[in-house]
Amino acid sequence: MCPPLVISHRDSNAQRVAAICEQSAALGLRRGLGIADVRAMYPQVEIVEAEPDADRRLLTSLADWCDRYTPLVAFAGGDGLFLDITGCAHLFGGEQTMLDDLGRRLAEQGFCARVGLASTPGMAWAAARFLKPVPVAPGDEAEALSPLPLAALRLEPAVRTSLKSVGLRTVEAILHAPRPPLARRFGAGLLLRLDQALGAVDEAVSPRLPVAPLSVERHLAEPVVQTEEVERLIFIMAGTLQEDLVRRGEGARSLQLSLFRVDGVVKRLAVGASRPLREPALVLKLFRERLTALGEMEAGCGFELIRLSVMAAARFDPEQADLVAGDRPDGADLALFADRIRARLGNEAILASTLVESHLPERAVARVPFTGQPASASPDAPVRERPIRLLPHPEPVDVAMAEVPEGPPRNFRWRRVLYRVIRAEGPERIAPEWWLGGEDDEPTRDYFRVEDEDGRRFWIYRHGLYGAPTGTPRWFLHGLFA
Amino acid sequence: MATNAVAHEAVCALRREIARIEGRLPDQFEPPVASTSTDDGLLLRHGGLPVGQHVLPTGAARLDAALQGGLPLAALTEIHGRQTRDAGAVAGFTLALCAAVLKTAPVKAPLLWVATGEALSEAGRPYAPGLLHRFGLTAETVLIADIRRLEDALWVAEEAAALTGFSAVILEVRGRAKKLDLTATRRLHRRAQAAARPFFLLRQAGLPEPTAAPVRLIVSPAPAGERRVLSRFLTGSIGPPAFLAEIGRSRSAIPAKAVLEWNRDECAFHERTDPADGAQDTGAVAAVSGQRPHPAGAAGAQLALRKIA
Repeated sequence: MCPPLVISHRDSNAQRVAAICEQSAALGLRRGLGIADVRAMYPQVEIVEAEPDADRRLLTSLADWCDRYTPLVAFAGGDGLFLDITGCAHLFGGEQTMLDDLGRRLAEQGFCARVGLASTPGMAWAAARFLKPVPVAPGDEAEALSPLPLAALRLEPAVRTSLKSVGLRTVEAILHAPRPPLARRFGAGLLLRLDQALGAVDEAVSPRLPVAPLSVERHLAEPVVQTEEVERLIFIMAGTLQEDLVRRGEGARSLQLSLFRVDGVVKRLAVGASRPLREPALVLKLFRERLTALGEMEAGCGFELIRLSVMAAARFDPEQADLVAGDRPDGADLALFADRIRARLGNEAILASTLVESHLPERAVARVPFTGQPASASPDAPVRERPIRLLPHPEPVDVAMAEVPEGPPRNFRWRRVLYRVIRAEGPERIAPEWWLGGEDDEPTRDYFRVEDEDGRRFWIYRHGLYGAPTGTPRWFLHGLFA
Repeated sequence: MATNAVAHEAVCALRREIARIEGRLPDQFEPPVASTSTDDGLLLRHGGLPVGQHVLPTGAARLDAALQGGLPLAALTEIHGRQTRDAGAVAGFTLALCAAVLKTAPVKAPLLWVATGEALSEAGRPYAPGLLHRFGLTAETVLIADIRRLEDALWVAEEAAALTGFSAVILEVRGRAKKLDLTATRRLHRRAQAAARPFFLLRQAGLPEPTAAPVRLIVSPAPAGERRVLSRFLTGSIGPPAFLAEIGRSRSAIPAKAVLEWNRDECAFHERTDPADGAQDTGAVAAVSGQRPHPAGAAGAQLALRKIA
């Protein structure tokens, strides 16, 4: 026999009861009571601190699971979910069957859940909390709402209290009352909530996840565990998607695979394609890399529902096959190669670079994702000598003495090795880009190309000037020449 | 005579078998063909490359003789740098080879640089403005795959080696790499052969280990020559880069080393026999005006407009 349980939270500087179990309710405890009072009355009650973040995580995972019924799942406060099942009910054998199925499955997972179904979000909210799990037919909202308490209208506690103080306790009492005095006295929110529940005012429910333009799913009578089976299903579903994509004249740029595990956990795997694709074999190739990178799939007792969605689509230009086999200059195979690497090792794994107009060496290059498209225009070759390898960060070097104050060093120590400078070219002065922000008094850099005894060529710079008020300049090594 | 012919046949068959096992072309045993193009001007191509042109001459006579004509193009080539601080020279030498390959390629396909993250953070990332300036490789042509683990880098390299879409693949590894053993390098070599594309394996800072690469070059930096400005050398200037290339391993097993100097204008190596000899290319003392789409027009007859009264 477990002791009665009470969840506490901090409310207006005092520990108060946030939630209670049935046993505690039987003891006469209720929400909002001070924890000190509870301890005094019933020392045997177990008190646990509330964890809002954990509650949110649980609700999020539940929302993930609810994706099986509809892609439009939204949060309803901290303790509820809205499911927009427009056009989905027939897939589950009608509204009543769907509602029963949802309630049963949630109960099987160990949740004490209340479900309701209606034509408006407000009515469904009320039905879930105050009515039996039976769908409310469109048009019956007023009749269904009338006997319910005013709490069914999602009102602010202050409004509820003031309504109660004038003797208005049920929805029926305000349903036929003249509207202007109600609005004047209790605010426009009351009538808005009423109209939303009745369907006179539309209420938008914003879905939690973006809705995929196309998706295919498979309900499996026997849960699948093995990766090979999952891959086979991906191939079959990609074949179905291909037909739809062909009809729309599009190809998928981004695909998502959702795996619904028997115990309610949902796994999502996404792959991107740099070119629109529809071939099932190519789709499978990308997902195979993703699954390989995942390693152990953690199938547990198996997946009972698998869904493949196109998250982003783009126009697909069919191209005529070349009669001459061999090199394809458009780089389609390179694009696929890059996609596979990205699917397996992350988006940053393969990058091309592009030149940026900037004087600062570290800003002169931007890394861009490789798309497989041939380069559009080649910019001018830089006039100045630049190193072929640039260190991620300029590394400080010790310079004992420069030959002349503004000249190159005679020797320097980099990574604990002393290099004797035989020849040097420079300086090339690069001033900070003050027009891009940053500090005004940042010192300039004087770059030198130096060569040591063995012929290694380095790019070193002096940060600042000798005799400047900012202090003794420091030396850095920034790159290696060929 | 008949027995002689049979014996010749058997020897030829055995040689062909050996060549197949070693992954060589059997015609290396035959007298060399003088020209790849036939008499009627027909040039046979396989995978975009002219048939028979499977080597890249380095430009140094002794090196080319030891390498039997040049670096094999459809193969794995190991390029070794003794220390991490030589990474500039090793990378420069390899990119120069890539630039030379690209010069003759019919399609300017991109090249892929696969590196473990450690190699890039220690020796620096390839820097696009420098590559463009020194080797004429545009920023979009050089793809960089920065992979943290060596296993993944090997996978990427293997997949890339099998593609004909890349003009060359470079795999850079730092220090000792246990995973990069004889089997792994043999797989890379086989794929490069099948795709008829060069694959360069860059090893920084490590002792030479047994690999399946037919050629291993040990590259170290060499003092650069001086720039030639207006038909004389500019004292104290740093000219185009020079490399000391040494053959660590080759089919012929002839030891050879040479100082090679990269000429940017011709996109080729030149051997420097006399260290006091100056550089061939002019360098960038004066601003180069390369690749400008609209050059300035010639001055016309009318230099100033007449003032309108």
